[in-house]
Amino acid sequence: MSSVLAGVEPGTVLPRITEHLTRDTLVRYAGASTDFNPIHWSDRAADALGLPGVIAHGMLTMGTALRVVTDWCDDPTRVLSYYVRFTKPVVVPDTDEGASLDFGGTVTKVENGVATVSVEALFNGSKVLGAATAEVRVD
Amino acid sequence: MISESHLGRTYPPTEPYVVSAAKVAEFAAALGDATNPAYQGPQAIAPPTFAVVLSSAAWGAMFDDPELQLSLSRTVHTDQRFVWRRPLRVGDEVTARLRIDKLRARGTSAFITIVVELDAGGERVCDATSTLLHTWPEQGAA
Repeated sequence: MSSVLAGVEPGTVLPRITEHLTRDTLVRYAGASTDFNPIHWSDRAADALGLPGVIAHGMLTMGTALRVVTDWCDDPTRVLSYYVRFTKPVVVPDTDEGASLDFGGTVTKVENGVATVSVEALFNGSKVLGAATAEVRVD
Repeated sequence: MISESHLGRTYPPTEPYVVSAAKVAEFAAALGDATNPAYQGPQAIAPPTFAVVLSSAAWGAMFDDPELQLSLSRTVHTDQRFVWRRPLRVGDEVTARLRIDKLRARGTSAFITIVVELDAGGERVCDATSTLLHTWPEQGAA
């Protein structure tokens, strides 16, 4: 067992991470995931649907947010389940900085060797994932 | 249009998809996790949410079902759950099978919950559950 998991208990706070999602990230994720919906790369398509701009794939935000957990436990095979609600779009401007997302996590329960982690994803200070929860084997 | 009578409807599984080291590396890089050793080399596992590559491939069968009158462009993905029995690995030959699990209709829109079961070599690997909000045009025609 890695030492970080030895003392895990409700209230344990996971190290936060910050990621910049740029148009480059979106294009890479489109190719990697095979989700080529143009609202994730074309201003014209986003505009036609009344969106405030090109938005990140919800699954990109979901996947990036889980890095808080996998970086912490240092072993992605420990992740047993993961749930998120997509509550707010992440608008990604065509700039070098793109959209800055801030991710965190807090252990809310430890039972039978499984820790429940509440995952937080913030964009401009507001939550973009709701009820985001991962279950992680910690024994 | 989709109705309660379609609950439980299951579509044939997708053609087998072989998880490759190149695709795993590409997916990890897209999540900003290219240097994670777990995702590198011929023994690599896939990042957990790589499961969406397989599960979303199964969505087509439902959207192509003429009885349901669904269109992907009128669909918003509202939530996602994954339950893994084991990680996906390089070399896994994966099929995905979609089942319509729940339906909550409200006027011209409906929340549709689908469960996609991922199997590799006859072994259940992951259940991917998605809730989709679908909206029909006012006149009822899709």
